[in-house]
Amino acid sequence: MLKIKDLHASVEGKEILRGINLEVKAGEVHAIMGPNGSGKSTLASVIAGKEEFEVTQGSVELYGEDLEEVSPEGRAHKGLFLSFQYPIEIPGVSVTNFIKTAINESRKANGLEDMPAKDMLKMIREKSELLEIDRKFLSRSLNEGFSGGEKKRNEVFQMAMLEPKVAILDETDSGLDIDALRIVANGVNKLKSKDNAVILITHYQRLLEYIVPDFVHVLHNGKIVKSGGKDLALQLEEKGYDWLKQETAV
Amino acid sequence: MDLKDKLISSFIAFENNVDVEHPIHDVRMAAIKNFEAKGFPSKKEEAWKYTSLNSLQKVDFSIFPKQENTLEYKDVKRYFLHEIDSYKIVFVDGIYSSFLSETTHDGVDICLMSSALTKPMYKQVIDVYFNKIASKDESLTTLNTAFSREGAYIYIPKNKMPKKPIEILHFSTGNEASLMLQPRNLVVVEENAEVQIIERHQSLTSNEVLTNAVTEIYAAKSAIVDFYKIQNDVATASLIDNTYIDQKDKSVVRLHTFSFGGKMTRNNLNFYQNGEYIDSTMKGVTILGEKQHVDHHTLVHHIEPNCESHQDYKGIYGDSSTGVFNGKIIVDKIAQKTNAFQKNNNILISDKASINSKPQLEIFADDVKCSHGCTIGQLDEDAMFYLRSRGIPEKEARALLMYAFANNVLATVRIPELKKRINKLIAKKLGVNLGFDL
Amino acid sequence: MAYTEEELKKELETKEYEYGFYTDIESDTFPIGLSEEIVIAISKKKEEPEWMTLWRLEAFRIWKKMEEPEWANVHYDKPDFQAISYYSAPKSADPNKSLDDVDPDLLEMYRKLGISVDEQKKLQNVAVDIVVDSVSVATTFKKTLAEKGIIFMPISEAIQEHPELVKKYMGTVVPKTDNFYAALNSAVFTDGSFCYIPKGVRCPMELSTYFRINQANTGQFERTLLIADEDSYVSYLEGCTAPSRDENQLHAAVVELIALDGAEIKYSTVQNWFPGGKDGKGGVFNFVTKRALCEKNAKVSWTQVETGSAVTWKYPSCILKGDNSIGEFYSIAVTNNYQQADTGTKMIHIGKNTRSTIISKGVSAGKSQNSYRGLVQINSRADNARNFSQCDSLLMGNECGAHTFPYIEVKNKTAQVEHEATTSKIGEDQIFYCNQRGISTEKAIALIVNGFSKEVLNKLPMEFAIEAQKLLEISLEGSVG
Repeated sequence: MLKIKDLHASVEGKEILRGINLEVKAGEVHAIMGPNGSGKSTLASVIAGKEEFEVTQGSVELYGEDLEEVSPEGRAHKGLFLSFQYPIEIPGVSVTNFIKTAINESRKANGLEDMPAKDMLKMIREKSELLEIDRKFLSRSLNEGFSGGEKKRNEVFQMAMLEPKVAILDETDSGLDIDALRIVANGVNKLKSKDNAVILITHYQRLLEYIVPDFVHVLHNGKIVKSGGKDLALQLEEKGYDWLKQETAV
Repeated sequence: MDLKDKLISSFIAFENNVDVEHPIHDVRMAAIKNFEAKGFPSKKEEAWKYTSLNSLQKVDFSIFPKQENTLEYKDVKRYFLHEIDSYKIVFVDGIYSSFLSETTHDGVDICLMSSALTKPMYKQVIDVYFNKIASKDESLTTLNTAFSREGAYIYIPKNKMPKKPIEILHFSTGNEASLMLQPRNLVVVEENAEVQIIERHQSLTSNEVLTNAVTEIYAAKSAIVDFYKIQNDVATASLIDNTYIDQKDKSVVRLHTFSFGGKMTRNNLNFYQNGEYIDSTMKGVTILGEKQHVDHHTLVHHIEPNCESHQDYKGIYGDSSTGVFNGKIIVDKIAQKTNAFQKNNNILISDKASINSKPQLEIFADDVKCSHGCTIGQLDEDAMFYLRSRGIPEKEARALLMYAFANNVLATVRIPELKKRINKLIAKKLGVNLGFDL
Repeated sequence: MAYTEEELKKELETKEYEYGFYTDIESDTFPIGLSEEIVIAISKKKEEPEWMTLWRLEAFRIWKKMEEPEWANVHYDKPDFQAISYYSAPKSADPNKSLDDVDPDLLEMYRKLGISVDEQKKLQNVAVDIVVDSVSVATTFKKTLAEKGIIFMPISEAIQEHPELVKKYMGTVVPKTDNFYAALNSAVFTDGSFCYIPKGVRCPMELSTYFRINQANTGQFERTLLIADEDSYVSYLEGCTAPSRDENQLHAAVVELIALDGAEIKYSTVQNWFPGGKDGKGGVFNFVTKRALCEKNAKVSWTQVETGSAVTWKYPSCILKGDNSIGEFYSIAVTNNYQQADTGTKMIHIGKNTRSTIISKGVSAGKSQNSYRGLVQINSRADNARNFSQCDSLLMGNECGAHTFPYIEVKNKTAQVEHEATTSKIGEDQIFYCNQRGISTEKAIALIVNGFSKEVLNKLPMEFAIEAQKLLEISLEGSVG
C-alpha cells in the first residue's frame, strides 16, 4: 500500500534522506531503527508532507498514487497517520473537540456525512477504555500540561479514533515508563489488522518486544543500510550501531 | 517672568558667551526654536499625564551660577564610591571641578564635554555622535541641547576597557537661592569595548535645584555598557533625566536606576535597537516616602530582528509619595523573533501613597514573544506569618520582606562595592537592621 | 514553512459579508444634516413630552461645543455630521401592531438575519426587540414578561409610558457631557430598548435586542437603559448587523446599566456590523459608550464578541460604587483586512471590597490594528479592592498590529491589582499537527482561535456562544497567517 522509491529530501539545502526504498504491504509491521541523526524523523515528516522538507528526487506512493502534490491534510484523509515525537500543544481546544473536528473533516473529504454524536461518543468510550484513558482527560486542552506519557497515549488514542490505513509511530516509546509502554503497545496491537500497516520508528529494541515487527530496517546517513527480520533488532541491541557502521563501511 | 520666558531670554546671553562660529551653533538655534514653540510639557500631554511641572515653573531659577564654589573632598567623600578607585568627573554648581576630578586620556577619553565641543581633536566624534540620537522634538531635551555646554565626555575606542569604573557627580552647593542645571553627557563605546559608569546628582543644601540632564549613549557592535543612576537627593532637588541609547549588533546595555529621594524625579529612558542580537536591560528600584514623586518612562524600540529587552522595576511607596511607571515597547514590522519582557511590581505601604502604572505594548510583527506583567499589592501574608512564627517582630518582618522584594533586582549590578552600597541604602530606607554585612 | 508569503497574500481574501443585503422597504427618512430644528423634529416625530425635547436640546448644545476625540489608536476620515440623516424609520413599522401585521419584507429580512420573531424564539426563551435603522419594530414576549412586572419595550414607548423611570435614570450613568458621541446620541437618539426588572425578580428568559442599519446615509443612535432593581437578575443580549455599503455608516449608541443593591446584570454583545470591504472601503463607524453603575453587592458582567465595524471605539465600563460590588469584562475582538478597533474597559473601584476581572483577547489579521485600552482605578476609600486583568493578543500575518494600553491607578494600599499581557502567533507546527490529523489550515485556524478565545466564549449564553464561534470563523476566513 505504501511505496517509497529512491526518496531524497533536504532541508535548507542540506540533504538528509539520500535514496530510501521501502515497500509496506497491508497487514505488515515495519520497524525503522537507527542512530540519532540518521534521518528517521525526517522520513516520517516527509511521508506526512511537512513542507519545510524538500523532496529532491524519488517518490512516496499510497495505493499507487504519488503523494507529491497532496497536502498534509489530504494525506491524512487518505488514511495516513503520524504519531508525533513531540505532540503540539493547542491551548483551549479540548481533546474531544479536536478529534471530533479531525474525524468529520476526513469524512467530509471522503464524501461522508458528519459522524452522529451518539456514534462518536460510543467510539470515544471504547477507544479511551482500550488505552486506559480517564474520561476527564478528554476535556483537557490538547497536549497542554500533559506529561510525556499522556501525550504519547493521546497520540495513539487519536490513531485509534481515526482508524488510519498506514500509521507511522515516531519514537512513540521515548519517555514512556514500562506501564505506559505496555498500554500503548497493547493499543497498537489491538488496532492492527490485515487491512492496515504500522511503521514503528524507534531508537531502541524495547518497544519491539511488545509490538513484534515483520521487518526491521536500519537507517544510517539517510539510507536503509540493512533490512531483516525481528532478529536484526536484537542483534543491534546487543552489538550497538557501531557494529553496523563498521560493517557497512566495509 | 515665567521660567520659559526666562530661559529663552537667557539663551541670547548664553550664545554670546560661547563660540557662535562653532558647528553646533546651528544645532542650538534649532533646539531653542523647538523649545520656544513647545514650552514645558503639561499634564494634558499623554506622556505627562501623571507628572506636573507647574510648580517648578514658578520658581525663579538662576540659569547661570554667579560665582564658583569649592568643596573639600572630605565633605563629599560619602557621595563617591570611595571604597574603590575610580575615574571621576565632578561638577560643582554646573562647573567642572578639576580639584575633585580624575580624568584620563590614556587610551580612552574620560573628560569634559566643554573641551570636546571646542577642541579640534574631538571634532570627528562630535560630528558623528553629538545630538544624533537625542530627540530633536521633545521639548525638554531640546531645551538641554540649546544650553548644552558642560557635562561628561566619555569615548572608549575599539577593544578598550578603562581600568576602573567612571563616576559622574553633580553637586549643588546652595550658592544660589535656586539653581537650574542642564548637564549634557556623551558616551561613545566603540566595537567590542566596555565601560561601567555611575552617575549621581547631589544637592548639599535645602535650596531649590532643578536639573534637566541629557545623556546620549552609543554602544557599537559587541560593546558592553553598564550604567548606574543613583537618585537619592534631598527634598528640594528635582531631576528630569533624559537618556538616549543607540545600540548596534550584539551590544549589551544594562541600565539601573535607583530612586530613593528627591522632590520630583522624571526618568526618560529611550532605547533604540539599531542592529540584531541586541540585549537591552532596564532595572529599577524605587523606594519613596514623604511627598516624593518619581516617574519612570521607558521606551524600547525594537527596530531589527532577533533582539531582546528586559525590564524589571520594583517600587515601594510610603507616606504621600507617588510613583509612575510607563513602559512602552514598540516592535516594528521587520523586528521578528523579538523577545521583550517587562515587569513592574509595586507595594503601597501608606494610605496616602499612590501608584500609576501603564505598561504598554505596540506590536507590528507577528513572530515575537512579548509580555508584560504589573502588580500592585501587599507583602505575602504567609511569608509574614512564617517570619513572625520564628520570633521576628512584625515591623522587622515587614521590613525584611520589603528588602527582599526590592533587593532581587540587584543581581545584575556588576560592581560588588556598588551592590553593597545599594544594599545598605535599601536597608536604611526601609529601616531594616540586617545584622550582617552584605 | 507551511506556506509562503505569496500564498498567504493570495489567500487573504475575505469572505463576502454574510448580512450584506439591503431590504427594499419604504422608509420615512429625514433630510440630512443636524440642527436644533432636526432635534426638535425627532422629538416631535416620537411624540415626546416637553422635558425630553429640552433634554435633547441641552445635549445638542453641549455637543456643539465639543470636539471629536483624537486619543484613540484609530485613523479615519472624520464623519461629516451634516451629511447624515438622523432619522429613518421603515414606513410600515408600528410597534403597537401584532406580528401578523408586520410588513412581509421586514419579516423576510429577519429571516435572512437568522432571527425569527416567532415561536422559535419562544422555545429558546429569548424575548427580542428589533431595531431597524432608528425604530423598534417588534417586541416579542411582552405579555409573559409583564406578568412578572418586567418592563421590556422600545425606549420611545418607555418615555411615554414610564416617564418617571426614564427621567430618574437616563443620563445618570452616562451624562450628556460625558463625551462627544454620548452627547450626540443624547441629542438625536431615535430608539433603543428599555428594560426594568423589579425587586427580587429573576428574569425568566434572555432579553435580546437586534440592531440593524438598513437605509443608506443614516446614522443609528440607539439608547439602551436597563435597570435591575434590588436583588433582581437579568441576562441581556445584543446583536448587530448592517448591509455592506461603500460609504461609512455611523453608529453611536449609549448603553446605561443600573444594578441596584444585590442585583446582577449579564450583558452580552455580538457585534457584527459591516467591517468594510477587503480594500478597506466602507464599513460601520462604531462609537459606543457603555457603562454600568453597581450599587452595594451588585454585579455586572460585560461579555462582547466584536468582529465587525471598520472602526470601533468602545469601552464597556463598570463604576463599582457600592461595597462588595463586582465588575467583569470578557471580550474578544477580531480584526481583519483594514479594520481598526480600540476597545477595552474601565473599572472604577469606589466601594470597599470591590472586585473586577478583565479578560481581553485580541486577534489581528490582514492589515488591521487591534488595541486594548483599559483603566483600572482604585480610589483612596476602596479598601481591599481586587483586580485581575489579562490581555492576550494573537497575530496572524505580519501586516497587522496588536497594541496594549493599560492604565492602572491605585490610591489605596490594601489594593491588589494584577495585570498580565502576552502576545503570540499561531505556530506553523500547530497548523501542521492539525493538517496531519486531516484538518485543513482554515479549519485549524478557526480551531486555534476558538481555543484562544475560550475563556470569553464560555461566558456567553449557550445559543449565542455557537453563533459567536461561527462568527469568529467567518471573520477570519481566508486570513491564513
